[in-house]
Amino acid sequence: MSVDDLLRHPGLWRAREQGGAALRPGLPTGFALLDRCLPGAGWPLQGLVEILADRNGIGELSLLMPVLARLCGEHEDGWLAWISPPHQPYAPALAACGIDLRRVLVIRGQAAEWAMEQALRSGACSAVLGWAACRDRQSLRRLQLAAEQSRCLAVLFRRLRDGSEPSPAVLRIALDGSRDGLEVRILKSRGGRAASVRLGWASFATRAIAH
Amino acid sequence: MPLPGKHRVPPEVSPSPVSGRSRLRPALGGGNRSGTGEPARSAAPAGELWLAIHLPNYILESLCQPAAAACEAAAGDAAGRVVVVDPGRGGKVVCACGVTATAAGVAPGMALNSALALLPDARVLARDSRRERTLLETVAVLALDFTPRVNLDPPDGVLLEVRGSLRLFGGVRQLCARVGERLRARGLAPRIALTPTRLAALWFARSDMEVVLRRPEALAGRLAALPLACTRWPERSLRSLATMGVRAVGDCLRLPRDGFTRRFEPQMRLDLDRALGHAPDPRAAFVPGERFVARRDLEPELADTARLQRVCEPLLDELCTFLQARGASVESLELRLLHRDAPPTRLRLRFAEQVTAAARIAAVLRERLARAELPEPVRSVRLRSGPLSEARVQAGDLFALDRRRASAVPQLVERLRARLGEEAVHGVSLAPDHRPESAWCRWSDPSDSNKEECPPFFTGILRPLWLLAEPQLLDGEERPHYQGALELEEGPERIESGWWDGRDVRRDYYVARTPAGVRVWIFRERRAPGGWFLHGVFG
Repeated sequence: MSVDDLLRHPGLWRAREQGGAALRPGLPTGFALLDRCLPGAGWPLQGLVEILADRNGIGELSLLMPVLARLCGEHEDGWLAWISPPHQPYAPALAACGIDLRRVLVIRGQAAEWAMEQALRSGACSAVLGWAACRDRQSLRRLQLAAEQSRCLAVLFRRLRDGSEPSPAVLRIALDGSRDGLEVRILKSRGGRAASVRLGWASFATRAIAH
Repeated sequence: MPLPGKHRVPPEVSPSPVSGRSRLRPALGGGNRSGTGEPARSAAPAGELWLAIHLPNYILESLCQPAAAACEAAAGDAAGRVVVVDPGRGGKVVCACGVTATAAGVAPGMALNSALALLPDARVLARDSRRERTLLETVAVLALDFTPRVNLDPPDGVLLEVRGSLRLFGGVRQLCARVGERLRARGLAPRIALTPTRLAALWFARSDMEVVLRRPEALAGRLAALPLACTRWPERSLRSLATMGVRAVGDCLRLPRDGFTRRFEPQMRLDLDRALGHAPDPRAAFVPGERFVARRDLEPELADTARLQRVCEPLLDELCTFLQARGASVESLELRLLHRDAPPTRLRLRFAEQVTAAARIAAVLRERLARAELPEPVRSVRLRSGPLSEARVQAGDLFALDRRRASAVPQLVERLRARLGEEAVHGVSLAPDHRPESAWCRWSDPSDSNKEECPPFFTGILRPLWLLAEPQLLDGEERPHYQGALELEEGPERIESGWWDGRDVRRDYYVARTPAGVRVWIFRERRAPGGWFLHGVFG
């Protein structure tokens, strides 16, 4: 039996292929270095993306700004849902990054996981950003399922220590800030492999400077 | 008693030109055809078909609405033991009773005391004519699903003209079956008959004969066997007819027309003509009310919101039928939960846009009920619609995906608001102001897609992605500290504004970085007592 025959066996699948099907392209992150490390050459659209960071302000939002701006483009009409953000998303800065404020929806309240699931399942959003602890595996699993069925970018922000626990997310990224840039560590990437990228502050071209 | 074949002339094809006395046409059907039933003139508009709904148990049904499926067994038993008295007539005589009561020997017309002797644990209720009227109107609203022409026949009948609906509903039998099904689903026990005239259909339905009769010429023959009680003529007239041996409609039709008109009330003569389609029978059309109001009494009382949801869902279905019949939609609903002692709990459901679909309302209701705090168990539920507005029908789109997204936003917002509260969901927009905390504002109505996009007010200035709700005082006099000593990177940017509205600011803003690489936006207060404050994080 040759290797090719083996690979055709239904019980075998390669990590590069997702369920036997070719990997769907993701949304370009806006950072060429990062795109090269991600299997779909960008943020995956089928499934949950976890971003693990212990501090707000190290560049975790700036990392997403290019893709969010792209999702506000002319041919897109989905909304950007911000669920339980730690602070108020500041409208002038968002506008300066090219985000259409008319499609920003900020949701606050206790039931962040529930609200995130609703937003994902509604089909109204093109991106859902959630800040939730997700203590139990059940809720993570629900979010992952909802994200798989929706066609939108689903990002869940958690703490670095949650990285040691298993998660059904398709992509897990740990962020570490430093004086000269942002350290992006890919902990898990379905169809890809672990990697580490350092994005210098210079590559954050989208500093929130108004036009 | 059919006419001999060669003389059978369909009235709609050639109405008999003979007017007035039928005796002028002796040759047609022999002696026995020259009676009251002989056509004066065919007055029924050709081709009408009337479906009559008769509710034999309307008194009971108006008082005992079907409860939730969860407590059906208990409710069914309670409904069976109901004995209804008429307070208008002293309240001492039973005028309707449930199944269990009937089995125990209670019957309408019996004294209440005898009924209580037969069934000591009977639930005695008083008749409520308003509720009876409401019941009839509910049935009429359901009937509007099948035809636009509906008449009420108080207290217990509804008439539908269905000729135009036959093809849509797949024929007469299908239509009758569907009407019956709808009513039975509401917990009613209707009798349904269909004939070319209103009155004939009603009489059949009242006599418990569910006939379907399409040919007008067959009416006389089929009506003949009906007992006269179904006509609801005055008791005295019926008695005197009975003494003459006239007990069925057919006997009546055989009586000489003149004599019958002279001896009895003209209304009776007219009724016979109308039943046969010889006289016109104009009636006021049923016009549905402008607001939807419905109630359900709960037996036993409920404290569980999940069960309440199940009780309310049939009400929502009724509401949507009501809306559909008018081509209307609602933006708000009020649900009142009545308790035994505590004041009623009011739940207001507001929708981000006009709604017509029961499933959507139910989804919002579920979240709202889950959040509701009930002081006591609920004994009755009332649903009341807000003002109606014309339903906007969404035109289909070849590229359906785009529309789907746009229309899903209001639904998402109202579901989130139902659970998290009105304030929890908002959007953001720019405001023309130099002060950072006033340079943006919230908006709350996501369905309003025509929001003015305010042009960015500043140009070429750095702003953080996160803004703190309140500036946070930092340690340090000359060098501020936040997660370590801060290193100032840019600044100062002086902002002085707002002296006119009492929120005066005088600040020098800097971009700074912590040792861990977090970029923050801080300012030095220029007014006394001064100090460093954290106002934003660059994210």
